[in-house]
Amino acid sequence: MLSHLRGTFCVLSAGVQRAWSSSSCLFMDPSSPGLVLQSQSTDVFQNLALEDWIDAHVDLQQRSILLLWRNRPTVVIGRHQNPWAECNLPAMRSAQVPVARRRSGGGTVYHDLGNLNLTFFASKKAYDRRRNLKVVTDALRRVRPQLDIQATDRLDILLNGRYKISGTASRLSRKSSYHHCTLLHSADRSAIAVLLRPSCPGIRSNATPSIPSPVTNLTDHAPSLQWEELLEAVVQQYSSEFGLTSSSQCVDPADEALFPGVGSMEAELRGWQWTFGKTPKFSVETQLELRDERPAARCSAQLQLEVKNGRVESCRVEVPATWLPERLSASLAQALLGERFCPHRAAAALSALLRCESGPLHSRLRNLCDVLVAAMG
Amino acid sequence: MVECQLCYMYGYHMHQRLQSLLFCLTALKFTDKHEWIRVEDNGTGTVGISNFAQEALGDVVYCGLPEVGTQLAQQDEFGALESVKAASELYSPLTGEVVEVNTLLADNPGLVNKSCYKDGWLMKMTIAKPAELDSLMDEAAYERYIHSIED
Repeated sequence: MLSHLRGTFCVLSAGVQRAWSSSSCLFMDPSSPGLVLQSQSTDVFQNLALEDWIDAHVDLQQRSILLLWRNRPTVVIGRHQNPWAECNLPAMRSAQVPVARRRSGGGTVYHDLGNLNLTFFASKKAYDRRRNLKVVTDALRRVRPQLDIQATDRLDILLNGRYKISGTASRLSRKSSYHHCTLLHSADRSAIAVLLRPSCPGIRSNATPSIPSPVTNLTDHAPSLQWEELLEAVVQQYSSEFGLTSSSQCVDPADEALFPGVGSMEAELRGWQWTFGKTPKFSVETQLELRDERPAARCSAQLQLEVKNGRVESCRVEVPATWLPERLSASLAQALLGERFCPHRAAAALSALLRCESGPLHSRLRNLCDVLVAAMG
Repeated sequence: MVECQLCYMYGYHMHQRLQSLLFCLTALKFTDKHEWIRVEDNGTGTVGISNFAQEALGDVVYCGLPEVGTQLAQQDEFGALESVKAASELYSPLTGEVVEVNTLLADNPGLVNKSCYKDGWLMKMTIAKPAELDSLMDEAAYERYIHSIED
């Protein structure tokens, strides 16, 4: 059963191994109370949609499922987090790293192909995160007994008592539960430092915060640990811990025949409304530094914004009247109301205002618009 | 003399304090997903989660609640609670419109754990289809239901 895993982890192999023509075959095989699925996709939205699909459609009262997946570089925020507070959206746009909001709670993580995601699906009764993590820690101890691996009370997994190699999040829904965790095999740690910082200053919110921790990769301490070796160890340990004869299958999370309706779940997760519109209400309060070139001059202004459902609900721009007439800063603030909290949308909304205002104040107004747009991440 | 958490009376009466097994005449009805609803004098329903649910959830750190004016069908998701253990969806016990949400929970989500039947209420809604109340469990049936899950 495990031999077909060797060297054929789906995302690397060119061939698609699709042994199942419908989900009923895959999920209702009574001889297989445990099931290990490996996603062929490295698209975070497809993989999150697959989690949603399994959660919604598979009867987990009689069986458990382990889903193994990994993503191309992505930042994943928790259900109730604020993406502007948690990650550097402008830097991510330049690097073409998307942000995804997952349905489970918890904090922000960076995913890339060196990070293994494990999702343990079970009934609510069988929900036991410690036991799930034991699968991971026991597997690691078996393949590399020299490593000091421990799960903490917070359900992180630490290496050498200090470095986080795994974080956990979970979701409880109608009939079932899932618990997923990361596992850092060989991720790009420099990207984490650059991308997991706020997009803009002055954010005040009661969204769930992340707890930053020093991280390390398994391969930093056990360089010979191959990806396939890690996968195999985890799958074997899962079977052993839960006393299951797990069959292991590669799946394509975009396969509508196998997972009817998964496409629309993916679309929802990918959409602005879920990713940004679900952000808990927050405010931005920051100082803006304004300047003029001819003659050279500077000035400070205050920006205060309330953002609800990802849109500007209220906006106040306090600019000294000696710099710009109050009517201009007021109409600028007015122009942003109802717009998405987004530098592109803000720039578009403000450009109409700029077109109307020629004359000596134009350059100062333009500078104010630029600085305002920059303050939105 | 301490005020009863459930019917706000003082003195000896049929209630026990806090998360008691016995409820007042304005009875709570329960869903199988552990939400409760209490029909108030003005005909609206106050909605929260049961003691069983708040214990299972652990310390609540965030309450995601709907907008006032949201239309809900029975069993629609109306929000989510995030605790240290999980993010858990909330399901509407009845069909109706959200008329109020508990704004205290924004800064004090732990009220859901400390006072799940009183100060930790989640939202208030209209009751568009009163007949749906019959499909919910009364407190005795809910107690039996919990015991059956725990076994």
